[in-house]
Amino acid sequence: MDSEPAPPLGKPQPVGLAAAPADAGRTEAEFVHEVYDQIAPHFSSTRYKAWPVVDQFLQGQASGSLGADVGCGNGKYMGVNPRLFLLGSDRSWGLLDITNRRGFEAMQADTLTLGYRPNRFDFALSIAVIHHLSTPERRCAAVREMVRILRPGGQLLVFVWALEQKGKRRFDQTQQDFMVPWVIPMNSVHNTLTASTTGETSNAQDAAEDSTAPVTSSTSQVFHRYYHLFREGELEQLVLNSDLASQVTVTEQGYDRDNWYVILTKREAEKSP
Amino acid sequence: MRLLTHNMLQCHVKKCTDPALNFPLQLQDIELEQVETEENEDLLLNLINKVDYNALTTTAAQLGLVGLPNAIPKDPQADPAFMTRLHEVLLETNITQGKMACRGCGHVYTIKDGIPNMLLAEHEI
Repeated sequence: MDSEPAPPLGKPQPVGLAAAPADAGRTEAEFVHEVYDQIAPHFSSTRYKAWPVVDQFLQGQASGSLGADVGCGNGKYMGVNPRLFLLGSDRSWGLLDITNRRGFEAMQADTLTLGYRPNRFDFALSIAVIHHLSTPERRCAAVREMVRILRPGGQLLVFVWALEQKGKRRFDQTQQDFMVPWVIPMNSVHNTLTASTTGETSNAQDAAEDSTAPVTSSTSQVFHRYYHLFREGELEQLVLNSDLASQVTVTEQGYDRDNWYVILTKREAEKSP
Repeated sequence: MRLLTHNMLQCHVKKCTDPALNFPLQLQDIELEQVETEENEDLLLNLINKVDYNALTTTAAQLGLVGLPNAIPKDPQADPAFMTRLHEVLLETNITQGKMACRGCGHVYTIKDGIPNMLLAEHEI
């Protein structure tokens, strides 16, 4: 540990866990679901820019297409292309409430079991969601559930955090499971709460995570979220090394904004052997 | 929650697999609100192939929403009155409060402030 560079003074750093937590369900409940409810207004105020790959994916869908935004957060992608119609779902009531107030369709559901009928959706989005699941089986099950609701020929876009990211966060390359702090500066709490329902944002609180200024516990609140950071190729392998390999093709894969992403296309139904 | 979403949902309790019973979910104690939105012909033509129309007309009748024919017109595009009514029922009719009960296993999903709760307990997954 002596060889690691010292983090900026006072700024909370991701903490490596050495191994995935033993109790997947409880870990995700405490370090994902509960945290997003607690940070919902502030988190939402930092989520307004559409990532280019996601924007392009949405602009590329046929007019009138029906989509599922699984883990829709504050609904920031649901109105990007007004020729489409999206049904949003998330675990966090706080984020769903914001989505709903914006006039978007919001449903509380777990990414592992959505409750939609099969083969209905022209496309689905999973943006920064399955890296919060703490076992390979659960990450794969989430993809399987989204493929299930797609019509044959439908496309799924999955984004996950990259271990190799070189942006504002750096991760110990020998580990993949981390607790990542979310910091709410105290001076931003009021503005965040008032901005949350309108989708308006204020530069003053442009993402605690974007802030380079040191923060201390006396002036801020720190929450920890569980993440599994994906290595290059891992996302495709998750799919191709599972039963999903016969159900989908990998249409596109790449790296964007500290994330690995993949676009899967559901195969047309084949005759059973 | 729009009626479109209701038509897309089925009971997903693990042992509840009878398609004759797990869909559609039975609406109870429903409060409705009409919210005007722009009509999108491409979307409606696409949704005609996705919704279960029988379930939609049954549900609409239960909610006192009239004006949908028993069957989809042969050329829906040439029937603007049908298209508009379909738009109003599927995309402008919002359930703000209520319950959705499964006719198979009896599971009740609640709708609060327009948001349905489809979460299940660990033993139901």
